[in-house]
Amino acid sequence: MSTLSLTLKPGLHRPIDMSAVKPSAVSGLSPYAIGNLELGSGATAVKLGDVFDVTGEPGDTVKIVGQSGYLDYVGAGLDSGTITVEGSVGNYAATAMKGGRLDIRGNAGAYLAALMTGGLVTVKGNAGDFVGGTRPGDRFGMQGGIVVIDGNAGNRVGERMRRGTIVVKGSIGAAAGSRMAGGTIWTETGFGEGPGPMLRRGTLIGPKVERFLPSFSDCGRHDLNVLRIISKHLAETLGPLAPKPLPDMVRRYAGDLASLGKGEILITTA
Amino acid sequence: MSGGTMEVNGVRIDDTFAEAFGMSGLGLVITADTPKWAMISAQTMTGFGTSVIGCGAECGIDRVLDPSETPDGRPGVRVLMFGFSPDALVPQLRNRVGQCVLTSPGSACFNGLDSKTKMGLASGPRFFGDGWQTAKKLGRRRFWRVPVMDGEFVIEDKCGVTTEAVGGGNLLILGRDRAGLLETTEAAVAAIAKVDDVITPFPGGIVRSGSKVGSKYKGAIASTNDAFCPVLKGAVKSECDPDTIAVLEIVIDGLTSQSVAQAMTAGLKAVTDMGASRGVTRVSAGNYGGKLGQHHYHLKDLLA
Repeated sequence: MSTLSLTLKPGLHRPIDMSAVKPSAVSGLSPYAIGNLELGSGATAVKLGDVFDVTGEPGDTVKIVGQSGYLDYVGAGLDSGTITVEGSVGNYAATAMKGGRLDIRGNAGAYLAALMTGGLVTVKGNAGDFVGGTRPGDRFGMQGGIVVIDGNAGNRVGERMRRGTIVVKGSIGAAAGSRMAGGTIWTETGFGEGPGPMLRRGTLIGPKVERFLPSFSDCGRHDLNVLRIISKHLAETLGPLAPKPLPDMVRRYAGDLASLGKGEILITTA
Repeated sequence: MSGGTMEVNGVRIDDTFAEAFGMSGLGLVITADTPKWAMISAQTMTGFGTSVIGCGAECGIDRVLDPSETPDGRPGVRVLMFGFSPDALVPQLRNRVGQCVLTSPGSACFNGLDSKTKMGLASGPRFFGDGWQTAKKLGRRRFWRVPVMDGEFVIEDKCGVTTEAVGGGNLLILGRDRAGLLETTEAAVAAIAKVDDVITPFPGGIVRSGSKVGSKYKGAIASTNDAFCPVLKGAVKSECDPDTIAVLEIVIDGLTSQSVAQAMTAGLKAVTDMGASRGVTRVSAGNYGGKLGQHHYHLKDLLA
């Protein structure tokens, strides 16, 4: 298993589009061709070799060393293999990712895993707003795969999300699951204000909510078998990254009743 | 060995073969809060599933599952269903799951067979939710949650189906003592139950009314196997011995030909291990001259 290492040179002062860097795209390229890969397009494009020191052999793993909030679209469109980032990244990491694995050992900016359809994303630090979200003009956000964030996540996590699972070990900001059509968002610490605005379907799981929207209705405490299935699936898929198994009983709030109303917020401590 | 038979522990083994047919098969995992209720659900769902001739499908319990083997970590039972084709299994699956699993307290129903070919499992039962059903997709598997009076009925969207299944593996066990014959045949069924991917769909795994193809009566596609009816041995060309007073048959369906062969081997071994002590005299097998079924299981090969 060979690894291509990209070490960030000092002096990066504007965002660059890293979507060209993925194992399937660099595999088989010569060091010269890799150094000449264009990051971005048009007048703002830069050559990879101007921004990174390139070492190692291209294969099924790409390792990015160095952190910069200017590294946008890291792992965007990733279809196979692994990208590891020893540091933080900018916005749109794992956008439209289809498969493989992206490990970010620092923080991630906004729109992490937007439009993602498959694969696994892990973030050691915090993530910004719109995790698993959508972009203007797209009907749905995240549609598959798993995102695990060790730290906290920002506002509107799961915006228009349709499928897949987002696990946040820390807390999630305001309006999580806004306009969500399906999928699961699970925080081990708690949701901020008003989760689930216009939630159609989908499941938000957490120990507490800062303030419920009035359009969510208490359905009482329940023993939901599907939670056992989710817990077991995540334990088998994520191994040590998996969150703690859910308790047998949760309190179910149905909503958003101002919308389709087939979604739910499940409170694990009530 | 003498003539066309060989003898093991005083039990003669005919030099003949069981003739079996290609079928379609599927597996389901039924879980519940307790092993008792998983079994009740499985037994109800597989009831009246002895023969495709009159039941539409041949169904049975393959094995009890440990909670670690089920998708929801609860006690479970794996059941198998066999039919002439995947299409023939569709209404059987819908009705049996809808009437017997959905209705059973605390139950859930999952795919129990890895296969590239899939068929709808929740296609009918999920609509019981009357619009309140929701789906949860985890990895490549989709689960439906149907609100019911004791919580939610969870059912997987699709289940695997194979067209490589085999139906009609069989052993015919002849005896001169009815109680001893039944006891020996029960031991054979118990040995077969330990083989994975097979069922013995008749009552207690045993059929006492083995059939032949056709009948003197119009409209009946099968009738009594007169050659193995001891009470007719003076009246027809009989396969019974002078001392035969009863014959019991074990019919075996399996997801693969190999599993059927393994099951027949296990059954045959159980019979010969008990030997003639309980009144069993002979083991034979049912066939149609080898012209109808694609799968032939020669008893002497199974003994080897």
